[in-house]
Amino acid sequence: MTETKKSILLSILILVAFVIVGELLTGDGSRTKKNLTEYETLMGLGEKQAHVPGPVEVAKLAFKELSHPFYDNGPNDKGIGTQLAFSILRVMAGYFLSVIIAVPLGFLIGMSPVFYKALQPYIQILKPISPLAWMPLALFVIKDSILSSVFVIFICSIWPMLINTAFGVMSVKTDFLNVGKTLEMNSFKMAFTIILPAALPTIFTGLRISMGISWLVIVAAEMLVGGTGIGYYVWNEWNNLDLASVVFSILMIGIVGMVLDAAISYTSKYFNYQE
Amino acid sequence: MNHNFLSVNNISKSYPTKDGKGFITIYENVSFSIEKGEFICLIGHSGCGKSTILNNLAGLNSISGGSIKMQDEEVEKPSLERGVIFQNHSILPWLTVLKNVTMAIKCKFKTMSKEDIESRANYFLKMVNLEDHIHKKPSELSGGMKQRVGIARAFAIEPSLLLMDEPFGALDALTRGKLQDKLVEICDKTKQTTFMITHDIDEAILLSDKILLMSDGPEARVAETVIVDIPKPRNRSQIVNHPAYYVIRNYLVDFLVNQSSLVAKKLKEGTLLDKDLPLTVDPIKLKYNLENNIINP
Repeated sequence: MTETKKSILLSILILVAFVIVGELLTGDGSRTKKNLTEYETLMGLGEKQAHVPGPVEVAKLAFKELSHPFYDNGPNDKGIGTQLAFSILRVMAGYFLSVIIAVPLGFLIGMSPVFYKALQPYIQILKPISPLAWMPLALFVIKDSILSSVFVIFICSIWPMLINTAFGVMSVKTDFLNVGKTLEMNSFKMAFTIILPAALPTIFTGLRISMGISWLVIVAAEMLVGGTGIGYYVWNEWNNLDLASVVFSILMIGIVGMVLDAAISYTSKYFNYQE
Repeated sequence: MNHNFLSVNNISKSYPTKDGKGFITIYENVSFSIEKGEFICLIGHSGCGKSTILNNLAGLNSISGGSIKMQDEEVEKPSLERGVIFQNHSILPWLTVLKNVTMAIKCKFKTMSKEDIESRANYFLKMVNLEDHIHKKPSELSGGMKQRVGIARAFAIEPSLLLMDEPFGALDALTRGKLQDKLVEICDKTKQTTFMITHDIDEAILLSDKILLMSDGPEARVAETVIVDIPKPRNRSQIVNHPAYYVIRNYLVDFLVNQSSLVAKKLKEGTLLDKDLPLTVDPIKLKYNLENNIINP
């Protein structure tokens, strides 16, 4: 058996074990008391109790939800696909806005040691700020909850991109620069034929970190601003005490995050090089 | 008036020390010249500033004093007329072998058509026997092959002066030998004017018309110009049989082992003056004179 086959088999075993243990540890929320009085029935005591759902229950719900991912029964009941699409759209908007700004700016900072040193203190102060701390300010200035969440994504994804781009540009080997110089390249040509391709792997590392952070932050941001999106969905299902849906959406958040990360890592393969 | 192809007059290079109070002089009062078509090697101990001199000639690094003139023009910045083969090949790893060469050609011959650029690149890659590897990335090549790409890239832009910084230093002896043969062959064909730094005495004798010897640093000088009077074309396996070979070789070894530090000492004591450097030495004549008791004329 090859290593890959072994690992796949082990993965499946872990899943099976997880399902069995999960089923054993969770109930279905049925109550023990039978023969309810009329009052008790009216109070909903005949209904199942709120409970942590087992894997099978979640799987059933997932099947149901994923067969109609885009249904729309009003503001409080939209399909999981719709909610995820809203979140992805916001993440993309904020993320690409920061790509447009951070990559060229990082490039300039990396090209000039003076700039790099001058901007360091500001970047170091701004970087550790929780992106959600910007939310009140964003809401007040932008006066739109959706755009505010886009802004929050923008502000959280800009730092890793900026720092990595600057670092990548700064650490281009002198030998490569010398090749460009001896070929009499002007700064423009040097930037695009030597520095950019040399720095791209580092830039992509920044892009990947930023994407990861963006997806973490959007859930929290949407819990705050509400309306639509996967973060709102989770919080809404919590308010409905529908824990199966909460667990299901947690799972979906993980899957989408994985896909986003894989997409960037796949793209970066085209720009990576080995020395 | 000075009509040398390249003339180096009294150049020096110094850096401020770390505490910022003084200066460290890498080398000073270095003068020599190169004629068109000549192959010059520079030999000296590690740390005497050989690579710094080469970078100065390339224009990658500025000198602190003196002047470097190529064809009566001051060398101030890098130029396509001075091709450089770097010690660690410096092939761009994200480009294929072919693209590495075409990129350089495009920089030099700006109006050349795409087909011409490609066929020119292919010609020079064939010259270094890399025709079967043109679409490979540098990471798929061995060290010797990478260095050959560097050689093809440098020759493809037809520089007036080729500068090589220990081009074969990182290679094993077998590969180095093969590349030396290749270089002898190409240089005989193209009459390329070349300035090369090396640690390898045999390599220097095989390739050069003149060998410049540096005294020990800091404050190193080019102490001697040794004439290599062995007819060209030369051949790596036969050159050792030439009567002059071991005379020159022994002379060079003696310089590196004994004289290089002695020269530095004499300069400090003032028994040797900068204005007399570099001394031109022909080891064959010197030996003849010594054997026949002829005192320096």
